[in-house]
Amino acid sequence: MAITATVTLTSAAGDLLTDALALSTSANLTAAGVSTALVGTSGLGRKKLASGHAQYTLFDGDAYANGAHKIYLKNTSITAEEYFTIEINSEQMGKLYAGDWCFFPWEANADTNDIKIDPSADNMVLEYMLFIDE
Amino acid sequence: MATTTAAITLTSADLLTDALSLSATSTLHKAGSTEGLDQTTGMAHAYLTATTAIDIFPALIEASIAFENKSNWVYICNLSTDETEFLTVKICEQVIGKLYAGDFLWMPWSMRESQNANDHHGDITIAPSVNTGMHVEFTCINEGTEYHTENTSAGQ
Repeated sequence: MAITATVTLTSAAGDLLTDALALSTSANLTAAGVSTALVGTSGLGRKKLASGHAQYTLFDGDAYANGAHKIYLKNTSITAEEYFTIEINSEQMGKLYAGDWCFFPWEANADTNDIKIDPSADNMVLEYMLFIDE
Repeated sequence: MATTTAAITLTSADLLTDALSLSATSTLHKAGSTEGLDQTTGMAHAYLTATTAIDIFPALIEASIAFENKSNWVYICNLSTDETEFLTVKICEQVIGKLYAGDFLWMPWSMRESQNANDHHGDITIAPSVNTGMHVEFTCINEGTEYHTENTSAGQ
């Protein structure tokens, strides 16, 4: 079993920098400390946060053991001002604006590692996927 | 206007009954706008020989909020080939997760003061799991870095 994640960062010469940026990295998603592939996933989900745009716990840290979990998130909005604030416990990690995606490791195992999402407007749709180290 | 693109593909032929073939692409913009990000720290390559957590980017300056909530994108990659070696990544002392050998992250960073009153200023830190030497790459693409002024006081 294998799961591959590849990120590419690109910018033409004379744009962000004088030189071109063309970074590409691939990783096989494996369990903590071994070469065995991750075998669990939440599946690719979509969540519409309809009204009140209140904070929402997307992944409960208590529900998973400590491991090499990976999280993918995408803000599907096309309105530039709309964003999701991502928090771990109560610490703000960053904001996903319209069309943005992110991919990061997650160490679960406690309520203090909850992943929380806070939309800036009503009816925003978040796409998400958790790869689980079981 | 600078145009920088970030793309990801997530693939697996055997994780599910159906093949996984997910891709997403985004253009990096300043917060709440369609203007491209035009600054970067550059790509750093470090060889870390202690397990101490270190700040990898200049964070908020004490009592300054000028750079709070600006758009920053962070890339970190653990270049180790030893599957047992990892980097612990934290923000404001809060563990995000561990990057094992070959793993990378790509995340937004809006740089906000800690909510736990522990005197952290949005710091992103990494700590290697071993002191025998780990190669790490990291960069930040953003709409500005508030560089700290020189400190010429002895012992600081």
